[in-house]
Amino acid sequence: MNRDTQRRVDAIRARSTEAENHLIDAYSGGGVSRREFVRRGTVLGMSLTSLGFLASACGSGDTSGGNGGGTATTAEQTAKVQPGGTFKAGINIPAGAVDPVTVADDGGLAMLGQTGEYLTWSDSKLTLQPRLAESWEPNQDNTAWTFKVRQGVKFHNGKDLTADDVVATFDRLADPDNASAALSAFRGVLSKGNIRAVDPQTVEFQLDAPNGNFPYLVSSDNYNTIVLPQNYDGDWEKTFIGTGPFKLERFNQGQGATFVKNPDYWDAQRKPNPDRTEIRFYEKEQARVLALQSGEVDAIAQFSVSGGKALLTDPNVQTIALKASTHRQVHMRTDREPFTDKRVRQAMALLVDRRALVDGLFEGRAQLGNDSPFSPVYKYTDTTVPQRQQDVERARALLADAGMADGFEVTIDTYDAFEMPSLAQLIQNDVKPAGIRVKLNIGTSSTYYGDAVFGKSRWLDSVMGITDYGHRGVVNVFLGAPLVSDGTWNAAHFRNKRYDRLVRQFTAQSDIDQQKATARRIQELLLDETPMMIPYFYDFLTGVRKGFGGVETTAMAHIQLTGAGQTV
Amino acid sequence: MSVPQQPVGSPLDDALAASPAAGPRRPDEGRTARREQLRVLVRSKTFIAGAVIVGFWVLCAGFGELLAPQDPLAPDPLNDLAAPSADHWFGTDRLGRDVFSRVIVGARDIIVVAPLATLLGTVVGTALGLVTGYFRGAVDDVLSRIIDAFLALPVLILGLLAITALGPSRGTVILVIGAVFAPIIARTVRAAVLTERGMDYVAAARLRNERTPYVLFGEILPNVMGPVTVEFTVRLGYAIFYVATLSFLGFGIQPPAPDWGLQVFEHYGLISGGFWWAAFFPALAIATLVIGVNLLADGVTQAFER
Amino acid sequence: MARRVALGLVTLLILSVIVFLIAQVLPGDVGRRILGPFADQRAVDALNEQLGTNRSLVAQYWDWITGFLTGDLGDSLAFRRPVSEVLGPALVRSAKLAVLAFFIVVPLGILGGVVAARGEGRMRDRLVSVGGLSATAVPEFVWAVTLILIFSLTLGLLPSTAQFPDGSGPLTQIEYLLLPALCLVFVLFGYIARMARAGTIEALDADYTRTAVLKGLPDRVVLRKHVLRNALLPTIAVVATQTGYLFGGLVAIEVIFNYQGIGQAMFRAVSQKDFPMLQSTVLVIGLIYLVATLVADILYSVLNPRVRLGSAE
Repeated sequence: MNRDTQRRVDAIRARSTEAENHLIDAYSGGGVSRREFVRRGTVLGMSLTSLGFLASACGSGDTSGGNGGGTATTAEQTAKVQPGGTFKAGINIPAGAVDPVTVADDGGLAMLGQTGEYLTWSDSKLTLQPRLAESWEPNQDNTAWTFKVRQGVKFHNGKDLTADDVVATFDRLADPDNASAALSAFRGVLSKGNIRAVDPQTVEFQLDAPNGNFPYLVSSDNYNTIVLPQNYDGDWEKTFIGTGPFKLERFNQGQGATFVKNPDYWDAQRKPNPDRTEIRFYEKEQARVLALQSGEVDAIAQFSVSGGKALLTDPNVQTIALKASTHRQVHMRTDREPFTDKRVRQAMALLVDRRALVDGLFEGRAQLGNDSPFSPVYKYTDTTVPQRQQDVERARALLADAGMADGFEVTIDTYDAFEMPSLAQLIQNDVKPAGIRVKLNIGTSSTYYGDAVFGKSRWLDSVMGITDYGHRGVVNVFLGAPLVSDGTWNAAHFRNKRYDRLVRQFTAQSDIDQQKATARRIQELLLDETPMMIPYFYDFLTGVRKGFGGVETTAMAHIQLTGAGQTV
Repeated sequence: MSVPQQPVGSPLDDALAASPAAGPRRPDEGRTARREQLRVLVRSKTFIAGAVIVGFWVLCAGFGELLAPQDPLAPDPLNDLAAPSADHWFGTDRLGRDVFSRVIVGARDIIVVAPLATLLGTVVGTALGLVTGYFRGAVDDVLSRIIDAFLALPVLILGLLAITALGPSRGTVILVIGAVFAPIIARTVRAAVLTERGMDYVAAARLRNERTPYVLFGEILPNVMGPVTVEFTVRLGYAIFYVATLSFLGFGIQPPAPDWGLQVFEHYGLISGGFWWAAFFPALAIATLVIGVNLLADGVTQAFER
Repeated sequence: MARRVALGLVTLLILSVIVFLIAQVLPGDVGRRILGPFADQRAVDALNEQLGTNRSLVAQYWDWITGFLTGDLGDSLAFRRPVSEVLGPALVRSAKLAVLAFFIVVPLGILGGVVAARGEGRMRDRLVSVGGLSATAVPEFVWAVTLILIFSLTLGLLPSTAQFPDGSGPLTQIEYLLLPALCLVFVLFGYIARMARAGTIEALDADYTRTAVLKGLPDRVVLRKHVLRNALLPTIAVVATQTGYLFGGLVAIEVIFNYQGIGQAMFRAVSQKDFPMLQSTVLVIGLIYLVATLVADILYSVLNPRVRLGSAE
């Protein structure tokens, strides 16, 4: 490194926090990959320019990924496309009203992202990109985060974006008297009234507890948080008001919507390419798949392996696969027979053939799960923890130790969506050799989830069940409510003080090494206790017709058509 | 889901009830007439054709496991959706199970559920029809209105609601389909009873001071058995159709049971990708069974009409 | 006549009560349905408060029925907009499909029935009868998938969804609706043909027909004047009774063809426990059905002078 570069690096270090310096050290020492360095740096609020500079200046030449993750879409996103035209995309039909406060499904959230924008954008590599926030940084102990609001941004109705709009947006979403779908995400993290505008360009969030990953909670990951004008008073479907690259042209309830490019869009680097976009709704995946095959739409936001098998081999369709943290939790109630003894739970987990699940159900487009929510896609996941494999002998030995050598009877509850019925049937078959007789109870989403409170929900009351968890950019959500002692989603009724402590620790940390160390402890604990099986994390698949490109999707089912069009 | 539905007591009654409803029979002519009808029945070609088809499936229902070459429940996820071949005559489904075996064994559910459902509907419907046809007046008006309301209720709603409330099971399916048929059968029986109640033997029974239940079930019922039997056989075809459709919509039997409708439900989306066999063969099975039962019903109708 | 209408309205009232009672049996609460199982309980409570779903059942029913009688169908709980806004377009869509299917299957069915009757016992008869029967026996979703496979994916002649783009002309709309309409044609043809056939046979055997033939009238005239009218009678009956099915029973087809008709609206209303939506939808279908049978009754008595309304019993 020459002296000039060194001086610049020192200058940056001097104004960086301890956590940021630690990260730079880790990177220079080769302990963190370049990609991970950039990603962690953005979470901490370092500017991309500094990071870019530091990455090359301090890099030890290691450009390969640390723990995989975030493959693909770079080719797509930089594809050369023809300007203009109308781009047609198909998505899942929104389940209810498209209202930023109440949206809770993938169709609805995709619509929010068409015209609305977030403070930060969580991309396919789980890196945070600045959008309406220019930069952000935490205080010493991660109990408060300050965001700089971008200047020169206008809403579609001409109003300028200010800090007051941001404050109003988050106050609305954290208000327990509003039917806010984001309330559960903010529980224990952010309360109404603790967001204030320091000045017209700066917003400060006072947190209820230290949180090192907070910027994800105000990103596209928390999909309700599109920034709305301060005087927003409801009925979003009429205007689709936002700051995004597209404006609403027409919304056809139940059918779809059309958008036109926003000529006053603030981001010169990401000007909208198509003149118009059309989003079409499809009630069933099969219809979506057919529409893509027949060319009725140019892209579909997502499809599953089982439903879209045809697409995987169709020469007219390109498949984009994003590694994701989407998974299934197969819980076993730790407070009910036969699962009170952890040996029995371990045995169940050892009987399942995970490899066959990944290869059979997903044609290999999934990653093995190790019975903890730490997906390989997260950088702080410790992948040196030994991967659990099928071991029927050991399982039977454990069962014998626990006094269940003759097996037992158990019912698996779940509902008829995605591949879950298939998973249930395969588990049912896998455990037969140990004398375990599984009965299936496959209902609908409403009969499985019920009222979603203990005592009134098969999900939370069943002895064994399968629940679907969609992708998230950070693991926090999966560690919390489903597994902490008084968690509202704790179907396994798991109560472990050490686990609770470790999770609190993890949440407060922002240093990558610390997080990794804590993650390891959590992973090992869960592997030992096995309150649930998490057999896989499967990829998010997007389909684009040959001859088209520039479509960006996230594993959350956001779909961005800013750069979309016919390839040159 | 084509079922004739209409308010009870309109002129259209005649148009629809005319064909299947047999004319009144004098009690003394009953036995000889019936024997004659049976003779005609077994000689009718339609009846024989229907009997062969249905007989085959009943055989499968009874001895499915013996006839099936492979275990219908054994999954093989790495061999899923394999095309028909010497190993798997009908190919494999999405979990790698042998479709041929599943079709054979799958006959059992539908062969058990459909007749039971039809029987339930017939018993309840006949009772309702007897009551409304005999009593007339206020009882008839009120009950008929309620029956009409049920007829106007879309079948799907009833099914959906019942299964959501009671849980998907064979029992619920039987209940739902029985509830759908009862009003329809009630209507037909009512029309037949209207004709019967004016007959001499009814008046004679009343003069003898026989109690009402006896008049209804002892005197009138035997004489409307003709239309009732016809209704039963006709509805049976629809029952199979409904059971399959309910399964298709995801409300019927639980996996991994090899129920035909369920199989189509699980695999119809794959047809467009070229994986046609897992949905096609169960659908074909449904179709042949429905046709078989309809042929049987036609034979019965023709025999009883002569 | 007036009595019939009055009785019909009573039926509808009872229907609304039945639906109401059944809807109460459905598990789950509305707020939770809309926000999903992972939403915070406080948010769910707030939503229930907003939507008024935590009031007593009777209160909700009363609110709804007083609204309904004044033309206000209430607000859909799931979509937070007036039911009429969601139901209206769905109704129109279902109507278009029903009308198209109707215009194809009725002439075809009558033609088939008459042809079969004229050639009673011969090949023509067998073909129509057995063919029609087989077609009806095949569940509509099987037809749907087969037709899509042939005409949409293989031949590329017709679209795979029924939802025509905004602003399409009538010809384009027909193009999109043709496949689902054909499914309905297959399902209904057998039934209509059979009824027409039965009616025609009866008419051909009747005295007045023989008289007409003996009088020396040409076949075609006989056919048109006497026989056809009698073939039409049972057909009217069938069509009227199928109206309910054509509107409310098409869920499978609507799902496969991605067509937001009334069937789907009803289906979704049940899953979401959207009471105003469900009630209004079921009652509208009941109303259509009532009107259809009344119209059929009138047509029937017009065409068949031997029957007078009210004297059928």
